[in-house]
Amino acid sequence: MTNPYEVLGVSPSASDEEIKKAYRELAKKYHPDNYVGSPLADVAEQKMKEVNEAYDEINRMRQKGKGTGSTSGSTGGGYYSNGSTSQFYSVRVYIQRNMIQEAEQILDSTPEGNRTAEWYYLKGMCAFRKGWSDQATSYFTTACNMDPNNQEYRAALNNMQGQQNFNYGGYNTGNTSYGNASGCSCCDICSAMICADCMCSCCRSGC
Amino acid sequence: MFGYLQVQKSELLVREWESYKAVYCGLCKQMGKDYSFLTRLSLSYDCTFYAMLLMSLDRSCTGFEKGRCKFNPLKKCQFAVTQSDCFSKASAFSVISAYYKLKDDLADSGFFKKLAVRLVQPFFSRWHKKAAKRYPQLETLVAEMMQAQAQAEQNPETGLDASAQPTAHMLGSVLALEASDDLQKRVLYEFGYHIGRWIYLIDAADDMEKDEKHRNFNPFLRSDEQDMQAYQTAVLNQSLARAFDAYNLLTFIDFKGILDNMMLYGFPSKQNTVVYRLKEEENDKSV
Repeated sequence: MTNPYEVLGVSPSASDEEIKKAYRELAKKYHPDNYVGSPLADVAEQKMKEVNEAYDEINRMRQKGKGTGSTSGSTGGGYYSNGSTSQFYSVRVYIQRNMIQEAEQILDSTPEGNRTAEWYYLKGMCAFRKGWSDQATSYFTTACNMDPNNQEYRAALNNMQGQQNFNYGGYNTGNTSYGNASGCSCCDICSAMICADCMCSCCRSGC
Repeated sequence: MFGYLQVQKSELLVREWESYKAVYCGLCKQMGKDYSFLTRLSLSYDCTFYAMLLMSLDRSCTGFEKGRCKFNPLKKCQFAVTQSDCFSKASAFSVISAYYKLKDDLADSGFFKKLAVRLVQPFFSRWHKKAAKRYPQLETLVAEMMQAQAQAEQNPETGLDASAQPTAHMLGSVLALEASDDLQKRVLYEFGYHIGRWIYLIDAADDMEKDEKHRNFNPFLRSDEQDMQAYQTAVLNQSLARAFDAYNLLTFIDFKGILDNMMLYGFPSKQNTVVYRLKEEENDKSV
């Protein structure tokens, strides 16, 4: 088995807080929300699992006798939950298994009259998987216009818009934070606490 | 390859900037060794990025050595030393791309430029032959890309995504060659795909006015978007965002700071410079 400290990218002598911080950062990086519909979703899930396992392992090693270290909170999967009621069930299965050509074949052979909002949504998914983001955006837009109340289509379109507004490059936005999540996260609070803690311990050692 | 893959110098640590220069100089030296003094002129930032990525992936950089610059004998520089053939590979990639670019220029440019291209072409043919023999996979991928691109441009149905497909697929496949397992292969392909797509589209955005004048193919000229700059930014952002997602799934240790800098600062700032026609920064001038 790989060294859990290496997985988290910390040294074995790191403090519990440092490990927690490293874990949080990685968990944020590999979070399934960042890979919705992406062809790499399963890779991210795999990485997430490794990180969770490593974190648990370290906790177990460090807290021997103190209790359990189960903190895993994986939330992978579940994006195709309403598949069984769908008329394009086989298309969804193909997309999930990354067989885009087969999925597109079925979609393209659907007669014009049967092209529902879901059809546009799935066309968009195929385009997105191929890397054709521009077409994907227009298919998702059509799907949302046809069925404005569908959460699934709306989420896909929001995901496109999120990527397009990616807070990249500072010149036009005047923003200096380039990460893909914004605002003050619990990690920031956490690191602020660590800083505060450091200062406290400095004072104490000075006394 | 067009030189859009740059670092943001102001955000680099001094030691990172030094090692970036050392990779650039190391590549330049290798090109001189493998081909000729002249091919060094075709060296681009894009190939430096490629070489650095390869070196980081196989962790083959063993250190730096001091030497003199061939172009400016008064200047002392550092050269990155590597155990693998990544400099040779990047040189070959650069020569092969330059050769096809020249061939392409010959097809659609004015009289004087044609004349100039004809003058250097025989040399490039020879070097190209050598590079293609050594790295046949690279040669096949680039040759296929050129063919697919020509086809796509002739088809009146070709939209934005389809026009970027050949370049994107080429770079995706080139990076996928380096994978050590199937999982990494998919991640590298996706990363290369979106970087390639971004390069193609930013080049198209850059050349829009020129292409309009000369009636050349340009995917943005086929679009009827109202706010062209916003549209370009959205499309380019999305490519970078997706490349960044794939990038996050790769493990880099060597040169990580520089690669992060490029992904988060270098490429976006280049993108803004191109889309909003800003003046080139001090940053881009010299290595």
